[in-house]
Amino acid sequence: MLAIELRSIAKKYGRVEVLRDFDLSVEAGTFTVVFGLPACGKSVLVRLLTGLERPSAGHILLRGNEATRVDSGGRNIGYVPQSFALYPHFSVYNNISYPLDLIKFPKPRIDGAVKQIAEQLKIDHLLGKYPDQLSGGEKQRVALARGVVKQTDIYILDDPLVGLDFKLREQMFDDLKLMQQSLAATFLYTTSDPLEALALADKVAVLDGGRIVEAGDLVALFHRPAHISTMTLLGFPPSNQIGGELFNRADQIWCRTGLFELPVSMAPSAGLPAEIGDVRVVIRPEDIDLNPDQDGLLKCQAQIVLREDLGGEVIVYLEVNKIPLVTVISHAEDHLVSQDTATVGVHPSKVVLFKSDTGQRIGKGVN
Amino acid sequence: MPEVRLVDLHKEYPGVIAVKNVSITFTTATVTCLLGPSGCGKTTMMRIIAGLEAPTAGDVFFDDDRITELPTRKRRIGMVFQYPVVYRGISVYRNIELPLLEEKLSESERKKRIRQVIDILGLEDSVDKEISQLDAGTRQKVAIARTVARQPAVILFDEPITSVDAEAKVQLKRALKELTRQLRQTIIYVTHDQTEAMTLADQIALMKEGEIVQIDAPRTLYNLPNDVFGGWFLGNPGMNFFEYRVEALDGDSVLKSPLFPRDLKISGLNGQDRITVGIRPEHVRLGRQPSDLAVGGNVRRKFIVVGGYYLVSVELGDKIIKVKVDPVLGRQIENDVWVECPLDWITLFGPDGRRLKAELSLL
Repeated sequence: MLAIELRSIAKKYGRVEVLRDFDLSVEAGTFTVVFGLPACGKSVLVRLLTGLERPSAGHILLRGNEATRVDSGGRNIGYVPQSFALYPHFSVYNNISYPLDLIKFPKPRIDGAVKQIAEQLKIDHLLGKYPDQLSGGEKQRVALARGVVKQTDIYILDDPLVGLDFKLREQMFDDLKLMQQSLAATFLYTTSDPLEALALADKVAVLDGGRIVEAGDLVALFHRPAHISTMTLLGFPPSNQIGGELFNRADQIWCRTGLFELPVSMAPSAGLPAEIGDVRVVIRPEDIDLNPDQDGLLKCQAQIVLREDLGGEVIVYLEVNKIPLVTVISHAEDHLVSQDTATVGVHPSKVVLFKSDTGQRIGKGVN
Repeated sequence: MPEVRLVDLHKEYPGVIAVKNVSITFTTATVTCLLGPSGCGKTTMMRIIAGLEAPTAGDVFFDDDRITELPTRKRRIGMVFQYPVVYRGISVYRNIELPLLEEKLSESERKKRIRQVIDILGLEDSVDKEISQLDAGTRQKVAIARTVARQPAVILFDEPITSVDAEAKVQLKRALKELTRQLRQTIIYVTHDQTEAMTLADQIALMKEGEIVQIDAPRTLYNLPNDVFGGWFLGNPGMNFFEYRVEALDGDSVLKSPLFPRDLKISGLNGQDRITVGIRPEHVRLGRQPSDLAVGGNVRRKFIVVGGYYLVSVELGDKIIKVKVDPVLGRQIENDVWVECPLDWITLFGPDGRRLKAELSLL
C-alpha cells in the first residue's frame, strides 16, 4: 500500500520552477529519505506535503485518497520542522502536548501520550523546564516528541538534525530508527547529509535539479545507481568524477580519461560513441586502492596532498595530473602508504559511465 | 618562539565555572589543538591567552614572563577567527601588507615575508584580486596570511575552518598543514571537530566541562583514552561501552560477559568490582565462520558509513555491540555472525570513568 503518492507534481514561484514534474511513491511503513543538496527543493516538497502550500500542478494522494486541496489540519500527519520552533513561553510538557491540545484530545489521554513519548526519547526529566533552559540536543528531542505525539501513520521530518553537532546526531540516528519501527509508521525524512541518508533510509529518493532523478531501495541504489547524482552524492566522501571521451579501437569501445584509458561495455540503449560524445566517469572513493599488488587493475601515479584522520579511517586526497581524487583507507593500512606519492589502482568494473547531458548511466569498464 | 604556560588557570562567570584550575604547557614548534564539545571552556581559555579575558585566578606565562595582566597588543600574538578579518575594497596583496607597515621592517624584508605566506598558502592566483572576488575559503586564507606574515610569537586559531564549505575545508586544511610544517611556531588551535584535530595537531588537549581530560598525540588519545569521555567523543561512532560487576577470584577478578567465549581473568583491579569495558567498533572482528576466540551473534541492523564501510549492530546475549567492517564483508553478512573482541583492544574504565591499568586474559 502507498502512504504517499505524488503525481506529476510541480511548483513554481513566479517564473522560478522549484519542483519540475515528477512522480514519487512512498510505501506505507517505510523510512523513506528524500535526499539532495541544500536548496534542491526538499523544503518546498515538505510544504506541499504538509499542506502549507499548494502545488502549481499535479496531485498529492495520502493513503490512496486525493489530498491536493486538503488543508494541513485535515491531513492527519505528524510534522517535525527543520528548526526546533519550540514555543519559548511554554514548558517542555506544553510544547509536546500542543498538537493534541489543538485537536481537543481528552486531557487524561494527553498526559499519558506526553509522558510515554518523553520517556521513549529520554526527556521525561525535562518536562517542567522551558526551551531556553535546554541544550541544542534536548531541544531537538522535544521538537521530535512534539512531532510524533499525535498518533498517526504518516510523519514528515524536514531535515531535523541539521546544525546539531556530530555526536548528538550519532545518537539521534538510533533513536529515530527505533521510533519509526516502534510506531510502525511511514517516515518521510529530508536531508542533505549522505551519511544520515545511509544510516536511516530503507528507501531513498534523490532530488536534483527540481526533480526526483532516482528512487528505490537504498542498498540497491547505492550499489547500482542509474543516475550520476545518486552515485556522486550518496556516499561520503563524495565519489570521484572526471571527464571522459569515447572512441573505437579494434572493434571495442574505449574511454579515455585524464587518469587512464579503458575498454568499456555500453548499455544497448546508449547509442554509438560518436552520438554520445563526452561522458562523465565516476569512481567511488572505496574503489580506489593505494599501492595495489593485484593484476588487471588500471593504474597511475598520484601525489598525496592531504590525509584526514577520522580515527578508524583515513581519507586520502590525491592528485593525478592536476585531477583531484579521494580515497578512504583503514587506519591499519595507513602506514603502508608513503607520505607523498602512491600508485592508484582501480578495478575496471568499478568505473561507471554516465551521459554528460542527462546524467543517465550508460556503461561501465570491462577487463 | 616562547612556550605558553597556563598555571592553575581558573575562570568563573556568574553561576558558571568556564575553566577549572587548568595547568598546561604549549611547547614551541608544536600545534596543540584544544578539542571539546561546545561549552567545554576551550574558547575561554584561548581568550585568556590572548588577553581578551582576565582569569579569575591563575597565571599565563610566555616562557618565564608572567603576562597575566599584559594587554593584548603587547603579547605578540596573532589570531585567526571563525570569520575572516580582511579589508574589502583592496587587493589581497595590500591586505597582507597593511599589518606589516606597522612593524619596523625594511621594504625588502616586508616583500620577502609577503611572498613567503602567499607561496605557502597557495594564494599566487589571487594576489591582485579584490576581497569581494574571492570565495569564503580563500578569504580565510588571506586572513591567515595577514596574521602569519607578522610573525607573531604565538598564533591562536579559533575554529578557523568551521564556516566554509566542504571543498574549501580540504583546501584550508592542506594550507594549514603546510603552514605549520614550515613555520614551526607555537600554535594553539581551538576546534570541536575531532577530524580537524586529529589531522592537524601534534598534540590534542581534550576538554570537558572546563577541565583538560587528557593531553596526548592524536593516535595515543584515540587508541588509549584515559577517560570514558575520550573513548566516546573521538571516533565515529565512539567506543562501545559495557558496564559490569566482576567477581573476586584468588586475589584477581573474573568477568562473565557474552562478549567473550570464556570467562575473563582481570588482574590489577585492586578490589575494584565495578568496571566498564570499552572497545572501538573498528577493533572488533567480525566473521561468518565460528572460531575459538569468537562468540555467535545476530545482526540487528547494518548500514553504510564513511568510505563504504558498514556499521553493523550485533546482538550478543543481552548486549548490542557496534562493529565496523570493510565494504566487501559488510555487504555479505546476513543474520548469523561471529564476533571477536581482541583483548589487546579492550580498554577498562573504573566507576569514575578513568582508565584502569589492568591485565586481561581468557580463563
